[in-house]
Amino acid sequence: MSSDASQSPEATETSMASAEPLLAFADALLASSECEPGRAAGEIRQYVTFFLRDDEIGIPILQCREIVRALAITRVPEAPDHVRGVVNLRGRVLPAVDTRKCLGYETAPATARSRLLVVDVAGRDFALLVDRVARILKVAVADIAAPPENAKVRTAVGVARDGASMIYLTDAERILRPQPAAEAQPTRSDEA
Amino acid sequence: MEELFASLVKDFVDETAPIAQEVGGLLLKLEGAWGTGGDAKPIVRAIRGGLHTIKGNSAMMGLGPIERVAHVLEDVCAQVEPRPSREQTLLIQLLFEGCDLLGVLIQAALAGSVDATSADAFVLRARASMDDATLPKAMPDSVEASPRAEAALAPPSAEPSNVASDDGRGTARIADRDVDDLLELAGETIVGQTQLARMHGRLARGQFEASDIVLMDQLLTELGRTTREIRHKLLRVRLAPIATLFRRFGRFLRDLARERGQVIELVIEGGDTAVDRAIISRLYEPLVHIVRNAVAHGIESADARAACGKPAKAQILLSARMREGRVQVCVADDGRGLDLRAIAAKAAAQGMDTSALSERDIQRLIFQSGLSTAASVSNLAGRGVGLDVVASVVQSLGGTIDVRGASGRGTVFVLDLPVTVSLQKALIFGVDSETFAIPAGFILDTMESREKNMQAINRVLLVSWRGDFVRAVDAGRLLGCQGLAQAWARPYAIILQAGNKRGALLVDWFSGVQEIVVKPLDACLASCRMVAGATVLAQGRVVPILDCVEVVRRTNVALLPESSNEAKVEASYDVF
Repeated sequence: MSSDASQSPEATETSMASAEPLLAFADALLASSECEPGRAAGEIRQYVTFFLRDDEIGIPILQCREIVRALAITRVPEAPDHVRGVVNLRGRVLPAVDTRKCLGYETAPATARSRLLVVDVAGRDFALLVDRVARILKVAVADIAAPPENAKVRTAVGVARDGASMIYLTDAERILRPQPAAEAQPTRSDEA
Repeated sequence: MEELFASLVKDFVDETAPIAQEVGGLLLKLEGAWGTGGDAKPIVRAIRGGLHTIKGNSAMMGLGPIERVAHVLEDVCAQVEPRPSREQTLLIQLLFEGCDLLGVLIQAALAGSVDATSADAFVLRARASMDDATLPKAMPDSVEASPRAEAALAPPSAEPSNVASDDGRGTARIADRDVDDLLELAGETIVGQTQLARMHGRLARGQFEASDIVLMDQLLTELGRTTREIRHKLLRVRLAPIATLFRRFGRFLRDLARERGQVIELVIEGGDTAVDRAIISRLYEPLVHIVRNAVAHGIESADARAACGKPAKAQILLSARMREGRVQVCVADDGRGLDLRAIAAKAAAQGMDTSALSERDIQRLIFQSGLSTAASVSNLAGRGVGLDVVASVVQSLGGTIDVRGASGRGTVFVLDLPVTVSLQKALIFGVDSETFAIPAGFILDTMESREKNMQAINRVLLVSWRGDFVRAVDAGRLLGCQGLAQAWARPYAIILQAGNKRGALLVDWFSGVQEIVVKPLDACLASCRMVAGATVLAQGRVVPILDCVEVVRRTNVALLPESSNEAKVEASYDVF
């Protein structure tokens, strides 16, 4: 009986029980890197990547706590533009950040594929709303190129290539940092 | 002088009540040791030690009745032998009762009314029983004393659970090391404040230097870190080991098992897990319900257990552990498990389509109202509250509850809880399909907002309330909801008072005052001046808690929109 008791309660709405191997993989990786924080410091860097429109963007895996379905987001009166509202993550109330808005895309309603990427920035947790989560990307530091001048993703610090596709690399801190240029730059640029 | 005495009494209670509780726990252990043939001597020694301390403390405070009870219990202890016998069972029963009485008397000391009658009656009875236990023939006059003594004893021992309840005005224990840490942190904030003051002085004199902005940035960051750390450490003071909650079930289960003629062992794991005392005190009722259910519906009779090859001694496990920054509490029993067919049948009888439900879904049905296990699993009566109430208490604490069971092998309830909460009473209201909470302290009244109660003068909307006019605002407009309804279409008004200012919010609906868990919002929402925090309602829905000072302030400067609406408002209120 007590062995049963030590199991976790399966399945709150936020759980990923419904077999998304990728997410399970991500969790496993997160768990293992927690045990050996030194391991990620080598030549290979790992990113969790997600899509905004057709662009793939990666943030360091160590900043990601978990990935959950886009839960009901409660609007908060007078919240700043880039904060959609708040969500309930197992009793914790986290700000739900409109990642599209932060990175200069046109904001869009959440869909069935939307996910919240829960990230830890300097001890504070945020839920980044993204169009969909893509994969865990391993990339050698040597293969990371400088971002092009006119990079679509404003906060990109580098780009990685995977075959024909390009992945913008940034981090949660940069995404959340207030951008003075945000107003100046037209948000329609991504529609071209 | 009186104040000094009161504080001494409080210290006495704070120190002595846990000892009485501890002694109660040790008595259970003693009984256990007898059952298993373990070494009872060290336990008896510990019990006598505890009683001796209680005796000494109460003598020092001049609390004679407590002293006398502790003294007689010590004497009883001296007769307790490592081997159980019928007489010994009598003695331990006496010790249990005496221990309960001590708890009651100690708490009564706080109110300044220690009941000497019940204490002396107990002492008399204890002496008589001791004679009974040791001498085969008791003296007639001491036997006569027994019934009277029992009558006097009955009320206090009826509710031992009240003794340790935490009404939020309790005393927290804090380690010296934590005090030192807090002092150090407080010192850091003072240093930061001094530096800011110096800078302020320079600014006031107009001697601003370019480097100041960097310095200020640094100071603010440090101050922020320090204050967060202080808050964190203070929150830890609110924590207590969950064993204080679990241990109360030792006695509870013992009595329950005895009543039903069963042998049940309580297994406690992870008792040192630290949890907010507010949670601990609110968790008692739900756990009582689950445990009582486990005994009533889960654990089979000794014969039935033997028939399916289970040990005669049933087990109930209470465990707690930290998991991802939250506390997971399990209540498990090794009884017959959930009767899925009965649950499904009950649900079906209520018109629910259960054909497509998985086993897990059916198990979770027990949390729905009207489907309490008391009715569905067996005829054994549950008492009043159903598991739906248990679930909603857990949810109001910001937690979740789940159940799993294996037919014939047992049932496990898992509660996933935050480590700490702060509770508040609040009213929940809705406007334009959005929901908000208002701290109850700000609410003067709620009323139906009939048109004849409202008036618009120069774009100022007024509600008449108890012969007065209160400035009103449409909550939907104030809070920026997307709805199209207009102020005069809202059926209700909530009258608020903050400081000496009043304001009325016009809303679509509201529900009664309930206790909510207040969660702070991240600093990125600091610009939301009208929102003080958020709470999670029973359905897992996040609801902003309004900052009433700001809301009332805004209400008092709010004007009706300039458009054609005004004409309409005036037209509507012309009647009046």
